[in-house]
Amino acid sequence: MDPPNPNPDGDETTDNQAAARLAALSLRGGRDLPPDFHTAEIHEHDLDEEEEEEEEEGYLTAPSRGGSSTGAWKETFHDDDKDGDDVSPHSPSSSGYAGERGSSLDDDPEPEPEPEPELAQDWPRDKKHLDEDDASSSWRKRKKHFFILSNSGKPVYSRYGDEHKLAGFSATLQAIISFVENSGDHIKFVRAGKHQIVFLVKGPIYLVCISCTEESYEGLRGQLELMYGQLLLILTKSVNRCFEKNPKFDMTTLLGGTDAVFLSLIRAFSWNPATFLHAYTCLPLAQSTRQAASAVLQDIADSGVLFALLMCDHKVISLVGAQKATLHPDDILLLANFILSSESFRTSESFSPICLPRYNPMAFLYAYVHFFDEHTYVTLLTTRSDAFYDLKDSRARIQNVLLKSNALVEVERSLHGSALHVENLPTDPPSQSASQPPESSRDTSSQSPSEITIGGPAGLWHFIYKSIYLDQYVSSEFPSPIRNQKQQKRLYKAYQKLYASMHDKVIGPHKTQFRRDGDYVLFCWITQDFELYAAFNPLADKTQAIKVCNRVCQWVRDLENEIFVYGESALSW
Amino acid sequence: MASRRRTLLKVIILGDSGVGKTSLMNQYVNKKFSNQYKATIGADFLTKEVQFEDRLFTLQIWDTAGQERFQSLGVAFYRGADCCVLVYDVNSMKSFDNLNNWREEFLIQASPSDPDNFPFVLLGNKVDVDGGNSRVVSEKKAKAWCASKGNIPYFETSAKDGTNVEDAFQCIVKNALKNEPEEELYVPDTVDVVGGNRAQRSSGCC
Repeated sequence: MDPPNPNPDGDETTDNQAAARLAALSLRGGRDLPPDFHTAEIHEHDLDEEEEEEEEEGYLTAPSRGGSSTGAWKETFHDDDKDGDDVSPHSPSSSGYAGERGSSLDDDPEPEPEPEPELAQDWPRDKKHLDEDDASSSWRKRKKHFFILSNSGKPVYSRYGDEHKLAGFSATLQAIISFVENSGDHIKFVRAGKHQIVFLVKGPIYLVCISCTEESYEGLRGQLELMYGQLLLILTKSVNRCFEKNPKFDMTTLLGGTDAVFLSLIRAFSWNPATFLHAYTCLPLAQSTRQAASAVLQDIADSGVLFALLMCDHKVISLVGAQKATLHPDDILLLANFILSSESFRTSESFSPICLPRYNPMAFLYAYVHFFDEHTYVTLLTTRSDAFYDLKDSRARIQNVLLKSNALVEVERSLHGSALHVENLPTDPPSQSASQPPESSRDTSSQSPSEITIGGPAGLWHFIYKSIYLDQYVSSEFPSPIRNQKQQKRLYKAYQKLYASMHDKVIGPHKTQFRRDGDYVLFCWITQDFELYAAFNPLADKTQAIKVCNRVCQWVRDLENEIFVYGESALSW
Repeated sequence: MASRRRTLLKVIILGDSGVGKTSLMNQYVNKKFSNQYKATIGADFLTKEVQFEDRLFTLQIWDTAGQERFQSLGVAFYRGADCCVLVYDVNSMKSFDNLNNWREEFLIQASPSDPDNFPFVLLGNKVDVDGGNSRVVSEKKAKAWCASKGNIPYFETSAKDGTNVEDAFQCIVKNALKNEPEEELYVPDTVDVVGGNRAQRSSGCC
């Protein structure tokens, strides 16, 4: 069923025309992308800005959201509304109320209080929405599509909809890419209104993202690179040989059952900072506990294991590499994503061929994986395909040590509470700060220091600190102003944008950035040693904020033995 | 999801402009016909699910433009095709004469591994026109051409009334499968640490 028109008062003709143009786009080889084919989207865009990442919610209709709105929710909604517009100053009129833009929300003559019950049941069962294809309006309204296809135009993966039903669409994408390549050029992206279509060509494999999430080209391209990395982790680059031998080759059979892996990675793009920071994060632990774990992993590595990783969900407890082998943070991300999204790893000890694309994209390693409990698991990587029983023994030794040293209990405890809270930021500024504070230029916004009591000092809400030398980052817990998932995703999106602008190749890189909009004050500070991303309440005072950032850096340095993994990487430098 | 694996077949339709390629597609996929001529720009893509011998297939049909100015699309479009359908108009000798060019062009651009046995199907379209009175290419002549090219299957079709369209596409699937390569085991190399097969980390080392 098509969702009700979210904008009943709107111009339906525009809607239909745009839909027709979109249809033309998918059937005509995309020869001329209509510059305004987003017109249909404009109204909806405001209404379901965040939904696309919210597979949990699936496709919500505007009336259903409006009907259940509360005052607090409206505020959120309105904030979402502005997400991505922060380059332009907000006009005074844009600070009003929820109904201002689309006007359908509150003015909807017949608001449907709740989503259709049968639809609601469908969402968790079928997040891929297999019934959809490029002809369905729900499919077209999705905020972010990912596609993988072969260079002959055969579909390999689509985030939404059935790949086979999208065969025509897939062919269109190939036609666009090939048409440009025919002229000896490469297509990077197409912008069409609010939509951005980003292309990544990797030999015989094409990856495409179609998004209206306002993310930067670099950000989306980075996500496609990770999608490709995930594909390599499962198949290695040897898959190229199959295409050389047989251009008709259909890769889907080799990827059978890995939908969940890609879906989980796509979700990570909106919650896991590792996807854009290219750094990993550790579980905070007492130094002695981590050392005990590292010692036994080192023992194992010395006896012929290439890499040994002890992890808790996406966080590293300890990792060790043999000889000069080092693990790239992206490989850790993709490996953890593969393990955590494949249900079978949890149910029994497993031995599986995997490829670490940053280590060696051409060849397989073998991964022994065992979960000690729901969250904590060890991964032993070897080059020997017959090593299962040896690794099983190694795992038993590791388990013994972890039990004796009480490490697993410590891990459990850390998981439920030893994270960094901005409220706990030490109040006394350290007497000796090793680094120069970033210059505090004249603050034109002359707001009085806020009397905000939520979050940390000076209205600090959240921060991410990345140690460049260690390839690791640490982030604080979310305080109450950004407690819900939607707000957290929005903050990450803001960080991603900040990251992209700081690392801009044309006008960057920059050292500091202070940015204020209706949602936050964002501050970024990059030195040779670290990158700091901090979010403050929108009324925060600039001078105060900069002082607090210095304190955050000092705080992180004070805690570094607990929040970072040291030593192991020394092997590789 | 069905346990049985679905197979996707890429089918390319080639032939002079105006012979009825798009009409054949529309008749086959949508069961519709329009007398109005609308030139295809570049290519149109259609999808159709078919059952053949108990297996489920998705046909990804590449309906290309017949005009010469679009021929530059070449390689990219033909790459990885499972079957090529050649279409001519039985009422136009020129469209028949051009079949050789279409076939050769396809083989050059797509460069299939075994060009002599690449599956083609020939369709002589518009047999309904004028009750067959304006016909200039005889069935015999067409069949002779097919025989000379390694026994290409031949169908006389009418996109207008649907004659033979379904049969032709069944044959297309059958032919595409004739060339199906037997499945090989997928066995990539294993990392060889001793042999220096290891890629260096590109960043982060100092």
